Amino acid sequence: MNRPLVLVVDDDPDILDAICDILDAEGYRVSRARHGQEALEQVERELPAIILLDLMMPVMDGVAFAQALRKRPAATDVPIVVISADGNPQRATAVGAVGYLAKPFDIDALLAQVAGITAPAGAPHPRA
Amino acid sequence: MARDARDTKPEGGAAGDAEPSRAGHLGFVAHEIRNPLSTALWTAEMLARMTVADRGGARGEKLSAMCLRAVARVRQLVEDHLLCERLDAGGLPARVEAVGVREALDVVLEKHAAEKPDADADPSLGVEVDRGLFERALEALVAVAGTGGTHVTVTARATDREVALIVTGRPAEEAAMADPVKGAPSDATGRALAVPLVRRLAAALGGALAVQGGSWLLTVPRAQAYTPRSAAPVPP
Repeated sequence: MNRPLVLVVDDDPDILDAICDILDAEGYRVSRARHGQEALEQVERELPAIILLDLMMPVMDGVAFAQALRKRPAATDVPIVVISADGNPQRATAVGAVGYLAKPFDIDALLAQVAGITAPAGAPHPRA
Repeated sequence: MARDARDTKPEGGAAGDAEPSRAGHLGFVAHEIRNPLSTALWTAEMLARMTVADRGGARGEKLSAMCLRAVARVRQLVEDHLLCERLDAGGLPARVEAVGVREALDVVLEKHAAEKPDADADPSLGVEVDRGLFERALEALVAVAGTGGTHVTVTARATDREVALIVTGRPAEEAAMADPVKGAPSDATGRALAVPLVRRLAAALGGALAVQGGSWLLTVPRAQAYTPRSAAPVPP
């Protein structure tokens, strides 16, 4: 079975490591980027099933990344879940996100969001 | 001699002009603390979900190291924030004395021995400061300049009234003097508040912090009478 690819975008290396470890342990394939520019390059390589996106980042922030992403015809429908430490869920609306998780969020809430988006109804969990 | 940090807080100047919007500053602090706090909580939970045997394996050790690093980062941020708060409140007592620049630098460089920083300071040069606050300011600047393993050099230069400590390493940017620091990447070492802290410490010490030619420039009052410990008479 082709395991879903999750792209995690965050400028904090420890956050990247932790989230990637959590998703990897659940059986997802994971790619990572430290800012929006790197994330666009990752998207060019392989279109992810979902993007977990931090907003406050250097080089290219989350809002600019989302705007650039939506201009790519192949990527217009890739769901984005905002993961942010700013505690302002309204900012997720600005990037057209389907979900918002405020750091520090519950691990099970993260996995539920990812599974709910990446798994078609009735499809087995990637770990299965 | 003891004095209150409030006594030396400038009315204007670099620190006064950059007086932070409190909400903005606290928002920045909260953002910086939430990232390592998240890592600490997640890694602790992942460890708790593992079997005892797995915890002793490579993944368990990696998660443990991440957790401890994150906790240290939170602690550093909270310590720096508390000191910023105390300095802002102006209630921090300062014990001013003649302190040897080289002596203080040796204490700071010892804490960063692994990075092998260099120092150039005349052992007879003294400053009129609170020793603890001065060492804290120097340590924070060395940490910031050494971000990412950059080699750090500290040079002391004196005029009649002041001593300037020039800390050179990772290029210092004027934007870092803003408070809150906008657009800065999350600091993986927990020193996100180091520059705001040094700016406050410099003011409390009766000096100032500036950026000059890509280096940090900390100026403090020069001690008019200072005897290096090595030159003091040895008791019989």
